[in-house]
Amino acid sequence: MPKHTVKTPVRLLPKTTQSELERYKLLVDSVEDYAIFLLDPNGYIQTWNKGAQKNKGYTAADIIGKHFSTFYLERDVEAKKPERELELAKRLGRVEDEDWRLRKDGSKFWANVVITALHDKTGALVGFAKVTRDLTERKQHEDALRAANIQLQQQQRELEELNVSKDEFISLASHQLRTPATAIKQLLGILMEGFKGEVAPDQLALIAKAYESNERQINTVNNLLRVAHVDSGKLILRKTPVEVRRLLTGIIEGQTDTFKARHQTVSLDVSASLPDTLMLDNENFRMALENLLDNASKYTGRGGAITLAAERKNAEAIIAIHDNGVGIASEDMNKLFNKFSRIPNVLSQSVGGSGLGLYWVHKVISLHGGRIEVESEVDKGTIFRVCVPVNELYA
Amino acid sequence: MSCMRKILLVEDEELLRDSYVLILSTEAYDVDSATNGQEALDKCQDKVYDLILLDLMMPIVDGVAFLEQYQPNPHTKIVILSNLSAGTELDKAMRLGAHNSVLKATLSPRQLLSTVRYELQAA
Repeated sequence: MPKHTVKTPVRLLPKTTQSELERYKLLVDSVEDYAIFLLDPNGYIQTWNKGAQKNKGYTAADIIGKHFSTFYLERDVEAKKPERELELAKRLGRVEDEDWRLRKDGSKFWANVVITALHDKTGALVGFAKVTRDLTERKQHEDALRAANIQLQQQQRELEELNVSKDEFISLASHQLRTPATAIKQLLGILMEGFKGEVAPDQLALIAKAYESNERQINTVNNLLRVAHVDSGKLILRKTPVEVRRLLTGIIEGQTDTFKARHQTVSLDVSASLPDTLMLDNENFRMALENLLDNASKYTGRGGAITLAAERKNAEAIIAIHDNGVGIASEDMNKLFNKFSRIPNVLSQSVGGSGLGLYWVHKVISLHGGRIEVESEVDKGTIFRVCVPVNELYA
Repeated sequence: MSCMRKILLVEDEELLRDSYVLILSTEAYDVDSATNGQEALDKCQDKVYDLILLDLMMPIVDGVAFLEQYQPNPHTKIVILSNLSAGTELDKAMRLGAHNSVLKATLSPRQLLSTVRYELQAA
């Protein structure tokens, strides 16, 4: 690099007094956070402040008279970036850049650089003011943030893929679990329902037990699937106007055989106050009520009485399932709707259950904008009240 | 017996296929069975069925692929008899022209007969 002769300092502010000039010099010199220095029209360094020394590591004696390309990376020098920046500043008055620059020790720092062309009162170029800020820390934070963002996106993609494979696994596993259970159901059903002739009563009793046990397995798979579906947030209700009386009658009729087998009586009590139709997801709401009615029957035992009562109270339709069964102890009430929670009572050993039914029912009723109230007394019975909002348009 | 209603049962699980054939044969139906969608397509070339009971997950040609290749006949009703829960495959099958779907695991032999009777009446 050619040796440079330092020119006499340019009088930038002709009307300022000497003391004002000194104060400006003091101001610039004492700034530590910014490297502020002057270049002559060819890019040779003329002044050097504290900030420049702190920022770049050079003392004034080291650097004054050297070309400002000293601070540029080799690839930028080869690409004539310093010259281009001066040219641009000359043409536009000012140029700003953010890029890597070099310190005296050869280490890199991320710099924000502003080069401003300086002219005397005749308009002739007298040099450039160069202000450099070290933004390495901010750059590192930005880079770290960007890297974390990329990593997060990658993790999200992986989670989505994992979720898809989980859904596929659940779907396939449930299919594979159901297939042999379905075959057992058919084969036992063929014997039980007399398709292969008469079966002795004691043999029939054993077959019925095997059939019942198999039913429990099928129900467990169904419940697991329903819970997985509702937990995934993918259960979207398809609400339509549903005729409530017909729905309730259908639910009771569907379980008549079970009630008969347990010698239980079931009555339906629909108040005149109940709207004819409610906006419900027919399939899921029906399954929720079926589940509650099945529980009432299971935990009521032989000879019990169950009532399905429906009425309107204010803005809600209330469907209550009363039983005179074993009841629920007050300390167990808060566990009722927990996943995998089974409440111990005199019948829970003999009654099958996965502890998923009420959890699912609660979720489905909540999705309907409703709630469930429970009232119970041990050895007296239980009332489950399903309360759902009445949509006046369809009531 | 030309008045017998013709049923094609498409099911790859031998135990289930045999059970369903046995159950359906207790009523006056003309029952054919196929072990996969390809066999079912071949059988549909020779005969027009009143009802096709179609499994979905099967080797060679599955239920959905069968429906894609099947030439619909207004006389024939197709009911999906599968153990797949509501989801992509079942949705595809319904879009491809299946009339109804029943979860196999919920059907006892008697319920199978009621379902078939209902679907044939509604046909």
